[in-house]
Amino acid sequence: MSFEAEVVSWLPQLRRYARALTGDHAWADDLVQDTAERALARCKAFRPNSNLRAWLLTILRHLYIDQLRVRREVAVDEESAPWRNLEAPRGEVDGLMLRDVQRALYSLSVEQREVVLLVCVEEFSYQEASIALGVPVGTVMSRLSRAREQMRLMLTEGPDRQNPQENSHKSPSLKVVRNSS
Amino acid sequence: MNNDAHHPESAPDLRMLSAFVDNELSENETAAVKEHLERDEQAAAQVAAWRAQKAALRALCGATTRDDTQFVVLRSRSSWWQRTAIAACWLVAGAGLALALGPLVPRLVGGDTMSFARRADIAYAVYTPERRHPVEVAAAEEEHLIAWLSKRLNRQLSVPSLQEYGYSLVGGRLLPGEAGPAAQFMYENQTGARLTLYVTGVPKDETAFRLFRDGNRRTFYWVNDGMGYALSGPIAEGKLRSIAIDVCSALGGRPEAWQ
Repeated sequence: MSFEAEVVSWLPQLRRYARALTGDHAWADDLVQDTAERALARCKAFRPNSNLRAWLLTILRHLYIDQLRVRREVAVDEESAPWRNLEAPRGEVDGLMLRDVQRALYSLSVEQREVVLLVCVEEFSYQEASIALGVPVGTVMSRLSRAREQMRLMLTEGPDRQNPQENSHKSPSLKVVRNSS
Repeated sequence: MNNDAHHPESAPDLRMLSAFVDNELSENETAAVKEHLERDEQAAAQVAAWRAQKAALRALCGATTRDDTQFVVLRSRSSWWQRTAIAACWLVAGAGLALALGPLVPRLVGGDTMSFARRADIAYAVYTPERRHPVEVAAAEEEHLIAWLSKRLNRQLSVPSLQEYGYSLVGGRLLPGEAGPAAQFMYENQTGARLTLYVTGVPKDETAFRLFRDGNRRTFYWVNDGMGYALSGPIAEGKLRSIAIDVCSALGGRPEAWQ
């Protein structure tokens, strides 16, 4: 398979990741477009037989972080934050619960959200995530575990409940759901 | 790592538990964590919650819908510097020509003009394959669409009708342009073929009417009164050209200058 064809074959996954990362379809489409262009323009920088997917995601996240900086200058208030406009999670699983997960996901920092999405959604190994994020495996592990715990606390303790974790595991609002795929 | 880490008695930390959820531990470590979870209710609940979280995230973001992935976003294969170099060559050639022909060539083409046409072409490639969300605001709300985009582009826009060519307005969207926002209006005929009209502010004015080709797509573009317009579509050049001439005059341009 040619390099270009290989890049194209990863576009659906890139798009999925970009959508989850930004919470904004149009922005995600732009990011994927920019990533594909940059990848093709810099194909010589890619070492054959290394991980193309991780390389593409690295490009995408650099672009995202650059664009985030620019967009941050335009203040985004909670009400108009992009994920507010996401379409309702579809079918099969409890929509309200997924909304909570969605909210928790976007309340994480970008660093945390990236690693959660790479490992949980894109099924990256820690090794691959470490390449894509440009941090050691140990950092992937600690960032991920902290992010998970933060999400769990957010989902188990309502925003109003000040209860310590003590009882939190006894009344989890998060239930096992069926995977829609 | 010493043996303590694998010892069943030592409580696994958050990182270990998290790695356990992702099957990233060695066999020994996995067995040790499993054993520990049988005794530690709270850790077991944590792990269960993280598993549920993972499944929920996958349900939430995991789908790559075929429907949405039909678009092909790639444009020309040469890198930007090659294209710049080629453009520079043409510029030099053009400059030479302009000097030679003098008054016959009124003005030189700046690089800026080209880039908005390219953006229009890419926007065509990205958005026209969309079946479910081709536009942000549909033609049903045409008044709102025009008012909204006019406001964002800071210019009174109008949307020419292409009915006589069998294309009706689908709607429009706002896009980031190079020198500010850009608007894309999409048209569709009965067979589902689509054309787009891309509009954006362009700092310099020029009268030329030009063609940009990419694959089977053609983009005719021109600048009029500080605004750049680009009409893109995969139809025959001659046909697109005559539509573009009509659109230009409908938008207050002077297509006779191109003949």
